[in-house]
Amino acid sequence: MDIGFFVTNAIVLASIYGTLAIGISITWSSLGLVNLSYAFIFAFSGYGAWLFAQYVTEWGPAVLAAGILSGAFAGIVVCALAFIPIHDKPNFTMRGLVATLAINLIGTQSLLWWFGPRSKSLPEIFGTWKISLGGMPLTADKVGNVLSSVLLLFGVLKWMQSSRRGLEIRAMMMNPHAAAIVGIGVRRTAFYVMAITGGLAGLAAVLLSQTYYISPFGGLTPMIKGVAIALCGGLGSVRGAVIAAILLGFNEALTNVMLGGQYVLITQFLFIIAVLLIRPRGFAGMLDRAREA
Amino acid sequence: MNDAPSPPVERPASATPPREVLNVRGLSAGYGAMRVIHDLDLIVSSGERVGLVGLNGHGKSTLFYAIAGLTGWQRGSIKLNGLEVGRTRSQGPGRYTHEIVRAGLALIPQGDEIFHGLTVEEHLDSGAFTTRAWRERATRKERILEIFPPLKRLMNVPVGRLSGGERRMVSIGRGLMAEASLFLVDEPTLGLAPKIGKSVIDALMDVELGESAMVIAEQNVSVLEGRVDRIIGMHAGKLKGKASAALALEVPGRA
Amino acid sequence: MSKPEKNKPEWRNPLFVWGSEAEALPTTPFHAPQDVWDAARESKAPLLPVGRMRLYYKWPGHGGLMWNRIRYWPTRRRVLKIRGEYNPKTLRREKTIVDKRPIWWLLGLVALALWPLFTPSGMENTLLTAGATFGIYAAINLCWMLVIGTAGIITLATYAVVGTAAFCTALLSVKFGLPWWMLPPIGALVGLGFGGIIALPAARLDGFYYALLTLGLNELCRVYFTTSKVFGSATGGVYGADTYIPESASQLDQLLIGYYACFALMLLALAFYRLVNGRRLGRILRMAPEKREAFAEATGVNYRGARIWIFIVSSIALGFIGGFYAAHFRGASFSIFNFDTVLLGLAMLVIGGIGRSEGAVVGTLIVVCLDKVLLGLGPMRIIAIGVIMLLVVLYLRNGLFGIKLQYRAWRDKKKSERRSTRTEKGGEILPEEATETPDKDEIYRRRFDKLQRDHLKMLVTPEIIEEHRRTPGGQHSAALERLLTYFRIQPQIDKYSVSVVEPFKAYRIVALSGVRGVAPRVVDDKLYASQDEAFHGVFLRRVQDLLES
Repeated sequence: MDIGFFVTNAIVLASIYGTLAIGISITWSSLGLVNLSYAFIFAFSGYGAWLFAQYVTEWGPAVLAAGILSGAFAGIVVCALAFIPIHDKPNFTMRGLVATLAINLIGTQSLLWWFGPRSKSLPEIFGTWKISLGGMPLTADKVGNVLSSVLLLFGVLKWMQSSRRGLEIRAMMMNPHAAAIVGIGVRRTAFYVMAITGGLAGLAAVLLSQTYYISPFGGLTPMIKGVAIALCGGLGSVRGAVIAAILLGFNEALTNVMLGGQYVLITQFLFIIAVLLIRPRGFAGMLDRAREA
Repeated sequence: MNDAPSPPVERPASATPPREVLNVRGLSAGYGAMRVIHDLDLIVSSGERVGLVGLNGHGKSTLFYAIAGLTGWQRGSIKLNGLEVGRTRSQGPGRYTHEIVRAGLALIPQGDEIFHGLTVEEHLDSGAFTTRAWRERATRKERILEIFPPLKRLMNVPVGRLSGGERRMVSIGRGLMAEASLFLVDEPTLGLAPKIGKSVIDALMDVELGESAMVIAEQNVSVLEGRVDRIIGMHAGKLKGKASAALALEVPGRA
Repeated sequence: MSKPEKNKPEWRNPLFVWGSEAEALPTTPFHAPQDVWDAARESKAPLLPVGRMRLYYKWPGHGGLMWNRIRYWPTRRRVLKIRGEYNPKTLRREKTIVDKRPIWWLLGLVALALWPLFTPSGMENTLLTAGATFGIYAAINLCWMLVIGTAGIITLATYAVVGTAAFCTALLSVKFGLPWWMLPPIGALVGLGFGGIIALPAARLDGFYYALLTLGLNELCRVYFTTSKVFGSATGGVYGADTYIPESASQLDQLLIGYYACFALMLLALAFYRLVNGRRLGRILRMAPEKREAFAEATGVNYRGARIWIFIVSSIALGFIGGFYAAHFRGASFSIFNFDTVLLGLAMLVIGGIGRSEGAVVGTLIVVCLDKVLLGLGPMRIIAIGVIMLLVVLYLRNGLFGIKLQYRAWRDKKKSERRSTRTEKGGEILPEEATETPDKDEIYRRRFDKLQRDHLKMLVTPEIIEEHRRTPGGQHSAALERLLTYFRIQPQIDKYSVSVVEPFKAYRIVALSGVRGVAPRVVDDKLYASQDEAFHGVFLRRVQDLLES
């Protein structure tokens, strides 16, 4: 077994799915909305990037940016439809969940109807070069994936720490009642949050499409994996999501090597069930105090 | 209230009437089926410090929440600097709160609503929501640290770990960061040791009001006596004392 | 003596001639009490008629003689809940049907049983297959509704259970040639095993954690079955199981038998829902919803056991349905594990309304009609279903069958808003109280009292108070006299009075209790040096109470 290969695989998977998981965590803890329309946002941004590559240019970073922007746009649309009308009505958590599922249904079927069922592929974003690190060949896409997701995630988290909007989002994550008293508008901040998490989903979509094709229903498995990581790390905690992403990335790589691809989900879920049985609120469960389902 | 109403003091004819910062008329508010405030009237002029005294559960906090739009439902007119903020509303609470706050209200709620993961400095930053306040936030923080010296060495500590008095200071400091025209301070000495409570009240009295006004709700009359411009009692959702008496005595002039 | 000005009238003291100091004292100008009345009677709010909308149709008849005595033998259940009352206006008895749901159910089920007789000849195929699908999905949704609605636990693993049972039984039938009537019971066993698996995490997790976990479980099943050669990954599913539909019958007869078998399955599922929801297990679950188990805990109800039971029981039922599915469709295909199937099922529940069996059935009806009957539209029909689901979730609190409750709540809110804009400040009677007070004179008495007080408030001025301070007893100006007369005629309960502590030296204000034998309560411990001062103190208190009322 090639340890290097295995480790790099694990890290790549962890970084991509971790991006999705952090998006879901942030949305839940700042808005109280479980965003299950991620599959749609994922597929939508993949198609957005593909359209950009078809009609404008095939230059890697531009395609990546197009994917991120279309993801942010889809996130804003989801916010306007599923969050704004019902966020202060009774029974919001259930209704929000069902509304995002409805948007998912509508969205994926529309993509199916518009683009057809055949999957599309994106051009190579990071080129085709290879570097060799300690005798281990690293292809461009692996390096590019890890670097871009880690850098962008880092950038987003840094922005959340230092800017005014980021402070508003963090304040709303901790105490939405006090945030209103300090002049932080829930609806305006919601748009920011959904745009950012949509952008993160777009990033994950473009990065994953280096390995898998873009199809209308292609966002489902990544969303479920991202949801599982977010659950495992504790909904609402970025640190927990990162730890869970790394652990589950290793798990997936291990299963791929030892048992074969079809058993990946089974081992993932066994692991998650084990973690949740021991700590029902995930790794960083205690940080979830501000929001209870 | 044991005092008999005294005849109103004659105002010199040359003084301009003070600007009304808050004008509440016919306010009723409550939560669900329970009506807490019954047909309340209140006027607060600029530069005034008013004390609102009453026992727990009689509606002082509800009055503040009603002005900020956080009650279950409310009816009646509330004018903040002439802007109507108390529309008859029974939607979700807090829907318009941030707009009311941006219109010039600083609510310092009972029991400090704090963000337990943020540091003291970030708390003070979060209070500066207008762009001008955000740009000037360094100077304003300096000013607040002058009013509350113990916070100087606690700037990077997460607020969840501070003691009660320090948290109260952070909460009040946060309310002072943006220029508000009306400060509503809800029970500043609640849960504090008497010495610390006194220092908090001293700090509140030191705040330069200028054109703004401050209403302090307290259970304990003695800390406010002599230091505020007037004291109003609140009992069972109705105001007693100088507020209503002053209004009624002006009526003969109209007839 | 200066000439009195227009708005500062003076009262000439008649006792001046006999040596009282003041000849003229300032007093309040005259206000007519009629002005207050006229001002108050003007109404700026729109005056809507007060009363209740009659929301129930009243049938003529006694209502008690027959309807209370017809019972379902051998139980003591009545056939319909009918309430008979005496109407005092028409002097007749009338009856209201309190609960019309049995009638709707009966009509609906009869319609569902008889519509195949009226199908247009070209559409039989589509309609009858759609009807069969409707029957099966309605049965699945009823079992799902037991967990989501009655127990309040959001789970998305239903189709995983049904699919697993269908696949396993189909495989067994294909491999070992089992007859069709063994498939449902074996499916029930598979369901039991699965139910144990999904019941375990439910004990530790709650709310969304559990829902998202079941979502993952569904996905897991899909991936496993899709990639497993045993279960026909090459052929898209398992086919060739034994079925109860006889091969020898004609096409139409086959379809009819299939439809009526699924209809019978749905009736079984309805009976099962009724059995669980209406009896002890359902009651325990409904009293202990998620996040509000404190009451159940405090009364010692074993809701945890009830939750495990509901999972096991509903999974057994779902497994049974899975076996029937394999027997009906002669196998199973992978599409049952699709995320879209789960979403469509959720749409059926949400559109109908969570918590009610009629919601499950009607929701399924709507979605299956849109999905299977309008097949020609392609993916648009699923988009239409998604749009309806979104609209229902955004605007309705609990689906179609929650509309009645939502409308009632909205109407109550509007009534109370209008009521509060109608009431005036300060102590008259609310319109609802007015219609229900037996003695209508009370309303007029209160109104008169309020107008009097409004008028008297206008009379209170510093001059009057000063006048009373000078001479508490004796000749008074007209305004002061009106005030004093009003104070003196108030009822005795809690009326201020003066108590002598030491004659000619110390007096104190007390409040009378109004009850014989109960001592008055001390209002204030201030001691007044003379009787006049004490009377003035009482007057001041009464004026303050008047101003604040």
